[in-house]
Amino acid sequence: MVKIIKVTGESLSPFFLPGDYVLIGKCSYLFGPVSKGDIVVFTHPSYGLMIKEVDKINAELQQIHVKGSHPFSVESAQIGPIPTADILGKVVWHFKNLNRTN
Amino acid sequence: MIYKLILSVDKYLSFPVAKAHCDIPCGIYDPAPAQIDALTVVRMMDLMAALEQGEEKGKLEYHNTLSRYITVKEEHAEKAKHEIRVIWGDYIKDTHLEKYPELPGLVHKIMQLGSKSRQTSDREHGLAFIDAINQFAEVFWATKNVKIKKAKAPYAPGLEMVYPDL
Repeated sequence: MVKIIKVTGESLSPFFLPGDYVLIGKCSYLFGPVSKGDIVVFTHPSYGLMIKEVDKINAELQQIHVKGSHPFSVESAQIGPIPTADILGKVVWHFKNLNRTN
Repeated sequence: MIYKLILSVDKYLSFPVAKAHCDIPCGIYDPAPAQIDALTVVRMMDLMAALEQGEEKGKLEYHNTLSRYITVKEEHAEKAKHEIRVIWGDYIKDTHLEKYPELPGLVHKIMQLGSKSRQTSDREHGLAFIDAINQFAEVFWATKNVKIKKAKAPYAPGLEMVYPDL
């Protein structure tokens, strides 16, 4: 139901930085359904396990579109739509890296 | 406090890692890492063959060294495949495919030869792996209108490689 995941990469900086940990939850009864602005962890066929912000939700197709917060992060077109079935959960708690400077 | 606790637990349990990267369009693509990785594969095959002829054969040191050579061969064959996949997935566009229709087949060949180079210690597979990656490098530099030159790598196994002629 809940999992701890380690973050790597910069595309969600400055909010999530490499070395941060997040607690993700799958159960929508407890944590609410996935909605725009949530940070979610999902499996991508090419990139593997990824963490991104939900940009749009297509309820009909059961897909979400994601984006990064970093200005150099590419729009979701490159990542493609993510089937909701591939979402491992949304971030419900964020443990910041103690060594980060901001 | 909690972060430190999680950090300690992570050392033992290794939590899954979620990537927030892979999508920064840095525009830096170069087949050179794949070429060096493929050269390393052949170098490891050569070292393995030399070890087999040596006096240490059967001894503990022999097994230790052989295991290390095999590990490096495995890693670098996979790294070469990864590097090619990144260029293939992130750099190559439809217009490139129209101009170089041989590319999909070539990339597929590289993937297969990379796996063959892992599965066996057959130098011929390693050489074919390098050859295919050099062909890929030739096409890659052509897409950028950069001239190429062919020269022998200045280190063992000293095979002929494709370099950008800058």
